[in-house]
Amino acid sequence: MVLPGRKKSIAFFIALGVGLISVILLLYIGWVLLNWRTGIQLFLGALLLIMLIAGVVLNTVFLVREIRRNEQHDAFINAVTHELKTPVASIRLYLETLQTRALEETKRQEFYRIMLDDSDRLLGTIEQILRTGRIGAARGPLNLTRIDLGEVVETCIERARNLYHAPEGSIRYQTGPRAAVLGDLDEVKAAVSNLIDNAVKYSGTDVNVTVETAIVDAKYVSVRVHDEGPGIPKSELKQIFKRFYRVPGQLATRVKGTGLGLYIVRSVAKRHGGRAWAESEGPGRGSTFVLELPIAK
Amino acid sequence: MSSILIVEDEQHLAEGLRFNLEAEGYQVHVVDTGEAALELLPPGQNRFDVVVLDVMLPGKDGFTVISELRQAGQFVPTLMLTARGHPDDVLKGFAAGADDYLTKPFELGILIARIRGLLRRSEWLRAATAQPEAKDSFRFNGKTVNFDRLELRVRDQVFPLTLMEANVLRFLIQHEGKPVSRKLMLEEVWSLREDTDTRAIDNFIVRLRRYIEDDPTHPRHLLTVRGVGYRFVAAPAEAG
Repeated sequence: MVLPGRKKSIAFFIALGVGLISVILLLYIGWVLLNWRTGIQLFLGALLLIMLIAGVVLNTVFLVREIRRNEQHDAFINAVTHELKTPVASIRLYLETLQTRALEETKRQEFYRIMLDDSDRLLGTIEQILRTGRIGAARGPLNLTRIDLGEVVETCIERARNLYHAPEGSIRYQTGPRAAVLGDLDEVKAAVSNLIDNAVKYSGTDVNVTVETAIVDAKYVSVRVHDEGPGIPKSELKQIFKRFYRVPGQLATRVKGTGLGLYIVRSVAKRHGGRAWAESEGPGRGSTFVLELPIAK
Repeated sequence: MSSILIVEDEQHLAEGLRFNLEAEGYQVHVVDTGEAALELLPPGQNRFDVVVLDVMLPGKDGFTVISELRQAGQFVPTLMLTARGHPDDVLKGFAAGADDYLTKPFELGILIARIRGLLRRSEWLRAATAQPEAKDSFRFNGKTVNFDRLELRVRDQVFPLTLMEANVLRFLIQHEGKPVSRKLMLEEVWSLREDTDTRAIDNFIVRLRRYIEDDPTHPRHLLTVRGVGYRFVAAPAEAG
């Protein structure tokens, strides 16, 4: 695909940076040999040299970063194209089927249900993108209210059960002491929903998800979402909260997503003065996502 | 009854396609990975008449699947059905060996018409193979195109041709000596509408030249007609 080209250009710019620094050093050494007697000039030259090297290093770092960002952006566009077009294609296919073929009532009802599922999926993707825009660019004001965290978790679990047709008992809620947070209901709901959605999506066919709420200390309350899914390599635990980032490999193609969900979770946590992180013993050993929010006084 | 293999991991789409194609009277088999499709399509066996192949599959993607099939000598007519509609993706699909390409969302009627088109072409080819071999092969300048076996013999070398390569070559041979426009080829060989990108054809010509020209950079049989398309010349005049 395009990736080898990108790797080449990253390597090229790093080589260019190193090359330029070597040329500067060579020129400087020559200059020192010629002017070693004039002290002030030497000092100024050294200063200039440091500035030049810093400039080249900065330039290289920014270039490499920009190339990486472009790469993630392309992957995001591909994923979003897929996530937007697939449900539309499905809805359209079923509508055309309903329009052109004589169907039994049961079939008709089944097709309506499929189309509703697809429109939910489409809406989910659109909301995710719009939310990222709101959180990322505008940093708009929070609509703060007192929220019962337990209630939010129950609503989100109910939503996930319906959306993924999860069997009874596959998503469990272990209620803790009642706790309220001062937050934006819409955003907190989105964050908790994203964590539960991820846990279900990545579990595959054998969904076994536990959600817990607990009071951490006098200041914070937490939501922990635990799954028995594929787990996360240690090196990826921080990366996965970055915008557009998806762990490379087979799993990212099996489980469809835009790479925005956890970015939203982390942004919501930050906006509320809390934090979010992931824990995992490694691949194959499940994972736990924690969202910590300040308790409402 | 013709049988169709659908390779699609989106369950809703796959089931919708299965329902409609079965309603059209086809036998339909659905798999959700490229690996499963490769297992069902061993070279030399024709269990399916047409394959509908998605690109974004878990594991091996559609481009890899189609090129592995072609390399292994499995030339089942294949339509790629994918959300990726960028011209580069379409060209990549054709270059990998797809016979047709349709982007999602698609119109059901068009999808069915294209599948019928692919089936019709294989039937024509099959009907042609039932006739004496002389009618179904073409000799020129020491080279023999065998349309029924989908192969091209140049001296003692044999190049396998895909169904679409054979169709393109047949079309050009039928119009021997006359310029044929890219548009006409798209319409007649692929049954595509005129707004389709015509560069896809150039890929086929590049590949055909590699087979039939002694020096593909200086073609003598498959000539480019500037601003129009291509012209096939069976017996080129000797240079000088």
